[in-house]
Amino acid sequence: MAEIGRVRIRLPSSIQPGEVVRVRTLVIHPMEITERDKEGKVITKNYNFIHTMIVAFNGKEVLRGETTQSVSENPSFTFPLKADRPGKLTITFLDTTGKKYEGAEEIKF
Amino acid sequence: MISMTRRVFVKRLIGFCLTSAAAFTDFFRPGASRAQTSTGSVQPEEKVEATMKRLFGARTIAPGDGKLKLEMPMIAEDGSNVPVTVQAEFPMTASRYVKNIYIISDNNRRPLNARFSFTPEAGKAYIATSLRLGMTTDVRAVAEMNDGTLYMVKREVKVTVGGCGG
Repeated sequence: MAEIGRVRIRLPSSIQPGEVVRVRTLVIHPMEITERDKEGKVITKNYNFIHTMIVAFNGKEVLRGETTQSVSENPSFTFPLKADRPGKLTITFLDTTGKKYEGAEEIKF
Repeated sequence: MISMTRRVFVKRLIGFCLTSAAAFTDFFRPGASRAQTSTGSVQPEEKVEATMKRLFGARTIAPGDGKLKLEMPMIAEDGSNVPVTVQAEFPMTASRYVKNIYIISDNNRRPLNARFSFTPEAGKAYIATSLRLGMTTDVRAVAEMNDGTLYMVKREVKVTVGGCGG
């Protein structure tokens, strides 16, 4: 559990300028599902799951994902990014406990 | 010269307290409408038709065959981790691009799985992730263009062991 919030990012080993690259990311997170009591009623509490993913390239937001509990535990995402200039790719995950998990990777040619 | 008498002042003070108290309780009222649009709270339990109506209203949805691809296994043994890839083969230019991709699974108690918002800087529009599916279900992918046009593809996934406890 100590690993919760570790963000891993994978880029292709070589990137050509202007290429649309495939970025893979994974975050360690339990993505809690709703629990029910014996009568089948949903237990009201603050379920801890990631609700937002923000991908920014050189500080500019390029992709935003809004996720729900019906995304798997330790969610992974693959998405495109146009690498037209070198820079810093940051991926931020926000969960319902107000925590923020960040990962960053340099894009260079 | 003081124009406000003590009586008027007290009346106004009471009035002010009442209105601000009303505003205060209104803000903390449970089930306020902000829970409806954000995925940051637990999604409402509803039928897929209700989800589609909530997200797209009465807008027409064109079939996305050939343009929008949804890749999933035919049979998913473990419903708690079903890989999915949605690929929208539309050009991504500043004037016309894919704005949102929605992933919706019909038979889940809370059908909306995720929504991804793209910008032209992404270069292409595809997303791969993994879903939790409660039972055998149709999964839909809906692509929304920046002009509001909607495209949808749908396919069935057989789920051996459901992945949603809730």
